[in-house]
Amino acid sequence: MTNGSPRKLLPRNVAALRAGQSAEAAARLVAGNSVATRLESGVGNCFPGLEFDMRNLERRFFPFLEMETDFGSLQIVAVDVAGVDAAVAAGTIDDTSAQSYWTIDQDLGRGRSWSVTRIAGDFGPFGRQSVTLAELDGQSTGPGRRPPDAWAAARMLVEGSVVQLDLTRAAPPGQLTLSGRRTRYLDDTGALARMFEPGELTQSLCSPWTHDFRDCACFYWASNHPDIALPPLPTPAPPANDRRWDRATAWERADRTAQPPPVATANGPRETPEMAHHEINRDWQLLNFVVERREHTTLYAPSAFDARPLADLAELLRHLRYAAGVELAVMQEYLTAAWSLQDPADQPQPLRDDLRAAFAELLRVAIGEMRHLRAVNDVLAALSPPGTFAPALAVAARLPDAAPGTFRPTALRALTPEVLDHFIAIEAPSQSVDGLYGRILATIDAEVAGGDEQEQAIRTVMAEGEDHWQTFLFIREWLGRHDPATWVRGADMRPPPPDDAAHRTLQERYRNLLEQLHRGYLRRLPEGAADINAARTAMLAPDGIRGALDAVAAQNFLAVFDPIADPRFAAIDPP
Amino acid sequence: MDAAPRSLAADPAAPLARRFRSTRGEHLLVIPFSRIFDLPAGTAADLDPADPLIVALAEPGRGEVSLDRISEPLPQSISLNVSSSCNLGCAYCYAGRGGFAGVQPRPMAWDVARAAIDRLLAVAEPGAPVTIGFLGGEPFANRKLIHEAVAYATASGGRLGLDVRFSVTTNGTLLRAPDLPLLRRHPFAVTVSLDGSAEVQDAQRPRHRGGGSWARVVDRVAPLLAEPGKAKLAARATVTRHDLDIAGRLEALAGIGFPEVGFSPLKVAPEAAGPLHDEDWPHYLAALVKAARIEIERLHRGLPVRLTNLAVALKQLHRGASSPYPCGAGGGYFSVAADGRWYACHRAIGQSDYALGDSTGLDAARRRRFVETRHVHTQIECRSCWARYLCSGGCHQEASSRTAASCDFIRSWLDFCLETYCDLGTIIGGSPS
Repeated sequence: MTNGSPRKLLPRNVAALRAGQSAEAAARLVAGNSVATRLESGVGNCFPGLEFDMRNLERRFFPFLEMETDFGSLQIVAVDVAGVDAAVAAGTIDDTSAQSYWTIDQDLGRGRSWSVTRIAGDFGPFGRQSVTLAELDGQSTGPGRRPPDAWAAARMLVEGSVVQLDLTRAAPPGQLTLSGRRTRYLDDTGALARMFEPGELTQSLCSPWTHDFRDCACFYWASNHPDIALPPLPTPAPPANDRRWDRATAWERADRTAQPPPVATANGPRETPEMAHHEINRDWQLLNFVVERREHTTLYAPSAFDARPLADLAELLRHLRYAAGVELAVMQEYLTAAWSLQDPADQPQPLRDDLRAAFAELLRVAIGEMRHLRAVNDVLAALSPPGTFAPALAVAARLPDAAPGTFRPTALRALTPEVLDHFIAIEAPSQSVDGLYGRILATIDAEVAGGDEQEQAIRTVMAEGEDHWQTFLFIREWLGRHDPATWVRGADMRPPPPDDAAHRTLQERYRNLLEQLHRGYLRRLPEGAADINAARTAMLAPDGIRGALDAVAAQNFLAVFDPIADPRFAAIDPP
Repeated sequence: MDAAPRSLAADPAAPLARRFRSTRGEHLLVIPFSRIFDLPAGTAADLDPADPLIVALAEPGRGEVSLDRISEPLPQSISLNVSSSCNLGCAYCYAGRGGFAGVQPRPMAWDVARAAIDRLLAVAEPGAPVTIGFLGGEPFANRKLIHEAVAYATASGGRLGLDVRFSVTTNGTLLRAPDLPLLRRHPFAVTVSLDGSAEVQDAQRPRHRGGGSWARVVDRVAPLLAEPGKAKLAARATVTRHDLDIAGRLEALAGIGFPEVGFSPLKVAPEAAGPLHDEDWPHYLAALVKAARIEIERLHRGLPVRLTNLAVALKQLHRGASSPYPCGAGGGYFSVAADGRWYACHRAIGQSDYALGDSTGLDAARRRRFVETRHVHTQIECRSCWARYLCSGGCHQEASSRTAASCDFIRSWLDFCLETYCDLGTIIGGSPS
């Protein structure tokens, strides 16, 4: 299978990038913190906080030199040559010193290393001394005491006092001596001095300080500081329907034998005892690696992707068309279920919050299905032979069920525990809808030349499906705390009579929405943008689908979508 | 000079793209502007050289100047031929030990140097670095002038807010203690002509009065290599057909402390000096590639590349270097003879077609003629070559020695560098070196 004329070129050098964008953007050096140290990923405590390496404060204790320390030594890693040049121009350092700085800079560029061997200066409470770093032994007691190590020595130097450093090059052997004033860390306003570069203080921080998160009984830590995680799976693996293994446990739980481990609660250590601080420090190695939200105690192996490719392009297109129908059908099921829920405003707590959260999440998932509908139509348009693409807006008559190859009829129902289980099943990874997309992905991967874009689109749909599945598990947890009779607007909710005005309005608006989408998808971007945008707006507007759903639900009827006879929007069967 | 830039059209039959492979797969070099792309599997076989996409990519992008353009930039760098003599007697010397076959009988006088510096500083583009080089003969034979010129140019440039830099090409044997602070204190590119190992150096670069020069150079350069200050040192070695062991010499020169070593094949010289013959070029290529592979291995171990030929090629491929001229001769660069005349190239002192003016001004018509005739689009053998914007025809002074074999060497070396660049992977925004 080929897709028209695939002529995709991936730029490799700056000139190739420049052909498509500005030279400035192409040549920009992207430097800075790793994603795990960004504020949005880490915990944004300010100075003095948990999340920076104190040693980095000493990186620039001496003018124009940047150093790293492992406590025992001070290694030069960079020279501020521009600063040296400016000092020479201003006459604030002498030529000999400048030449020494320049030599160190050149040597570093050539892979030669310089380190501090002796510091002479004012060590505050320890007075003026000349300290040979190799002689420091970690001890600091008695009269004439010295700093215990190189890092402490640098820390103790009095700000602004004159310091003399002896520097040594290992190979080829070399010696230099430099004098300068000990720099300040804070400016006159108490802020960190401007000499610190962004990211500098956190750069050598390699692991979360688990100890410090122990008492934070809140579940908002980033993935690199887990406080809750799914428990490690036992061997042999439990049956798929054993939900006890899908409930988060406290990562630092004290009882590490219980199977399955105790479920974490918002009350933290009070209900799920956690290791004490000293135990965390002593037994940190018992804390399991967390990958994909789950603790792992054995070698992690990514789950194999073994979906079977479809036979040919025609079968792929049929499956894509059905997949679009599935997106529409589940979207209808989720909307009907969402609008069957009681109005939270009238309910007592905690039911009120749980209903509000369940409704918001159901709506979010339904919107996600509409995005998937668009993605599948884009893939269809890209893979269809020229001139043959027709938008896929037919609704699936039957939906994939949990067992491979089985289907259940599409059914617009009020939300009950059983309906929720159906929703969970249809979004579950490697099952039902995910299985359908798995075969589509395998086919594009194996058969479509230049199908990267389509592959990414399908991967996104699959990844979001997993998010939907997780969301339904949460909804079951929230609503599971309450009697199912209290979830919905009435027992045995039914659709309104066919001539109900609100029902008719809903059907008309839904039909208009489909027409808009059909026009937009057919014309594709950019020509179709106006129609697609109008459809999107109509979905959530008070005078659109949302308003119509509200009107039906206000009468305590089940908001449903009638079948449409137009073959473009009629029911479609699995291929 | 005309205000309007003039241009020379490219050969319409010249290829716009070249396909090549690396361990990462298929690649495409879009020849104008040296754009390098990866070709996803399956795409490569269908790509038509006349594909509109390639034609579009061969057009200038944002900030890029057409390669048809005849370049007449402001002078940005000059070399001062300060000395007319040399204490070494290299058989291949293009400058006749600085005398240029009698054209330059006397060293440069201070007023000549000052006038040239004044002129350069007056006309140079203020935002870009200005470079003043010292050549000869052996420039340190006239050390007093170098010291004066550096002090004068630094002070004048400072007043004008210019970034003035220096370069010197020296045989290293006349360096003395008072020269070291000068080189360390100023942004100096110090190129030491040194053919090492000891045996090769002593054979190819003997002292004029007899005897080898290796031990003397090593002794004189050592303090600067140990403490270079602001100076950037590199060795530059000439390779003759008598000894093609590039890797061995690279080790010898790196061994005495040179961070960078560049090699140039001898192309134009009396036969006894050993210029390369057609049959030598494949061996020269093999020797250069052998040395390059050692450097690539070092690169994988996190060590810097010492072979300038490779380091520069990788940097230029990364940047997308692409020019219709092989060097700045007659463009932004001029070489000032001891008599004050400005030539397009330091190798052409005394050649009338390279004489383009003096420190009172350039002869616009002569300069225009020079840059027109040197544009790669006017070079019959070069204009349809795929390497035309990377090699750009090579050194003007060596054009007469160009043969199919020597051009095959350049293309093969560029192929090797392209493949290596892609093998190494690209760090966008950084440099592969």
